[in-house]
Amino acid sequence: MSAIVSAADAWMRIRGLTKSFAGELALDRADLDIERGRVHGLVGANGAGKSTLIRCLAGVTSPDQGNVTIAGDELQMGSPQASERAGLAFIHQELNLIPHFSALQNMLLGAPKVTRFGMIDWKRSGVAARAAAERVGIRFPLDTKVSELSVAQRWLVMISKALTRDASMIAMDEPTASLSEPESEQLFAIIRDLAAQGVAILYVSHRLEEVLQLCDKITVLRDGRIVSEAERGALDKKGLVRAIIGHAIRTPDERDRLAADRSRQPVFSARAIAWKQAVKEVSLDLYKGEVLALGGLVGAGRTEFAHLVAGLVRPEAGHFELDGKRLDVANVSEAVKAGVALVPEERRSQGVMLQQSVAFNINISTLKQLRSVPGLPFLSDAKSRRQAESLVAHLGIKTPGVTARIAGLSGGNQQKALIARWLNAGTKLLILDEPSRGVDVGAREEIHDAIRALARAGVGILVISSDVEELTLLADRVLVMREGRITGELTGADITEARIIELSYQDAHDDQGEAA
Amino acid sequence: MTAQTVPAAKEAPQPRKSSWKRTALIGLSRYGTIIGLLLMVLFFSVNAPGIFLSRANFLNILSQASLTAIIASGLTYTLVVGEFDLSIGYVASFVGLIVTGLMAYEGFPIWLSIVCALALGSGIGIINGLLVTKVRINAVISTLGIGTMLTGLGFTYSAFPIATGIPRAFTDISLGRVVFGLPNPVIIMVVVLLALWTVLNKTDIGQKMQAVGSNMEAARLSGIRVDRIKIFAFATAGFCAALTGTLLSSLLGSGTLAAADGYLLDAFAAVFLGSATLREGEFHITGTLVGVLILAVGFNGLSIFGAPTHFQPIFKGGILVLAVGMSALARRYAASA
Repeated sequence: MSAIVSAADAWMRIRGLTKSFAGELALDRADLDIERGRVHGLVGANGAGKSTLIRCLAGVTSPDQGNVTIAGDELQMGSPQASERAGLAFIHQELNLIPHFSALQNMLLGAPKVTRFGMIDWKRSGVAARAAAERVGIRFPLDTKVSELSVAQRWLVMISKALTRDASMIAMDEPTASLSEPESEQLFAIIRDLAAQGVAILYVSHRLEEVLQLCDKITVLRDGRIVSEAERGALDKKGLVRAIIGHAIRTPDERDRLAADRSRQPVFSARAIAWKQAVKEVSLDLYKGEVLALGGLVGAGRTEFAHLVAGLVRPEAGHFELDGKRLDVANVSEAVKAGVALVPEERRSQGVMLQQSVAFNINISTLKQLRSVPGLPFLSDAKSRRQAESLVAHLGIKTPGVTARIAGLSGGNQQKALIARWLNAGTKLLILDEPSRGVDVGAREEIHDAIRALARAGVGILVISSDVEELTLLADRVLVMREGRITGELTGADITEARIIELSYQDAHDDQGEAA
Repeated sequence: MTAQTVPAAKEAPQPRKSSWKRTALIGLSRYGTIIGLLLMVLFFSVNAPGIFLSRANFLNILSQASLTAIIASGLTYTLVVGEFDLSIGYVASFVGLIVTGLMAYEGFPIWLSIVCALALGSGIGIINGLLVTKVRINAVISTLGIGTMLTGLGFTYSAFPIATGIPRAFTDISLGRVVFGLPNPVIIMVVVLLALWTVLNKTDIGQKMQAVGSNMEAARLSGIRVDRIKIFAFATAGFCAALTGTLLSSLLGSGTLAAADGYLLDAFAAVFLGSATLREGEFHITGTLVGVLILAVGFNGLSIFGAPTHFQPIFKGGILVLAVGMSALARRYAASA
């Protein structure tokens, strides 16, 4: 039974919320009503103000103006404790769980515990947590260490943790970013269930299908303002995209797909590559000019294959060829020298050097070319700056300057900087693992354009993506992997979301094949 | 350098009154240590004008600072690459003993003894680096282990101070004033720090060190040989420790067990004071030098005012916690203001 709600007097009323950072408006007089028992979608490009809004609600950031009332009571701003007392819970993309603690310990972390004579009564403290675990359908034992849980299971722990504290609203930031399709479906079922029990859900995601499918109401933010608000069914995907970026983008059908000339020698080949249980006899050819993509589910062996090519691990069997010559590298450094580079999956932990400048991040793989005098190890500031500036302009990286810290850039622009890192490095094969994860639609299109331009310029491009839509938008040819093997190839008009998903699940359970 | 205040957009709300506060806090977090140093100099100058404010005393402060500055700059390198070296004090003591032994017992010429000493220090640094990168022992454990072993090895080599048979020319190295009437250790410090600064900021390897320290995995994926870079940093730390040890023996005119052990804490204090200087929690050579000077001026002032020597550790620990703590607080308030 959902809570009784009157539209005139919403449960949570956000009025005129405004926040600026260093004179720039991150959030501009945002008005928003959130109801219990409904899933409220919050979408927008990176930097549109979603996180600022959420941080204000969480009490982590104090707004300059505006107020929030919850069930008629004004929420004290700038106090995480006050937000928690008001029943607001926040689950961020990087789940704040302690890996060495059990699921139960994590759920009870920081929660008021039942005490007897000043000692924690674990048994009684656990009651609420166990009830919460039951509500979200946790099936694993609660004394399992979090480090042994899958990402999906960790989400369940986080949700239970929120419920343990009687949360009346749970905000979720990109919950499905590292979940597989069935795991996401499971999460959606739980979210709907929670809503039916009267919890308000604030759902932040870049995956628009998901938002359209799940949310009762969608609010679109652009440049700190609320530009669109729609009930379920009032907006379709095209309309949503237009609201987010302010203009329409091309659809897969409008893309030209290059059918590479396969009579010529491939840029890169893999021959019967095998590694542990993850990669089994993978062979492929990558031709000049094409964007080749590896599709499939999380855990299908694609990232492992990328690591093998990039020299992070050595294959147990098989070999690679680059430009017709055998490629045998012992480590990443040798791979880079040979012309193979990887733009990794985890942008923050494996890609950017956050404390460093944009120029530093771009130039780090081409230091030798930036010397003042070729034979001596001294770097030329002028050359470094020139190279960085030209690449920033070339890829349209939005930054206040090349000396600005890269941490201040949006995810999409950080990703472009990581691509820029390889443009002057003599790269012959560029592997991009999840190139647009956590990036908004506008930036994604720009990244795609950059990748395609590189491919057409003759760089071998191998893209890995779990985002099926991205594959249809970007790839000239898709190879689908499942359980370590290549199970299918799609070209031209065959590259559709339905076909990719079908191949990803081939031979798996029948009922999953039609999810599209 | 300073926080830029972007002109407010047309429709922006009133510029917040706290923005000057924010700028002030950021300033405090970056320049707090330098301001502290200047205040200390001012205080001692006003209260002990005749003694503190003299050329002789300033040179005294500088030469005391120079040995700490050299060893601390080497330590800075290991911290830049995200590691630790707890062996430097013991390396300095051990090498200081060996260098005198080579002259007194083995009859090596001075130059050869020094070359061997520096090579020995670098070698120990390389061993530290190999243990950390190839064997993958935590740096705290491996460098502490190596350091402890060196203490024992030193004792095995000579349980008594080596004071006889050391050529006069060796002690003259630290006592002499070859350039501009400045004490030689000061000149050596300037040369070493300039070289380390240049390598860290102006060369490939320095950029790679900073990359490794910022994000090791990203550095590896950029094609940097992370292990080599780390070993280089450890070798530099060992080299600098050996140089400090050698200069100390020259200054003391003898090789004494455990003579330089205390430099470990001084170096750490200086490097962390330095990390709160000009930058936000990053380790860098300029900062380290400021840190060393803060300690040296403080010690000097304390002794001028006749404070008992056990006040020195109280001062050392206190100023470290105070300066780094204040900088961290200022940074946090600036971020949330």
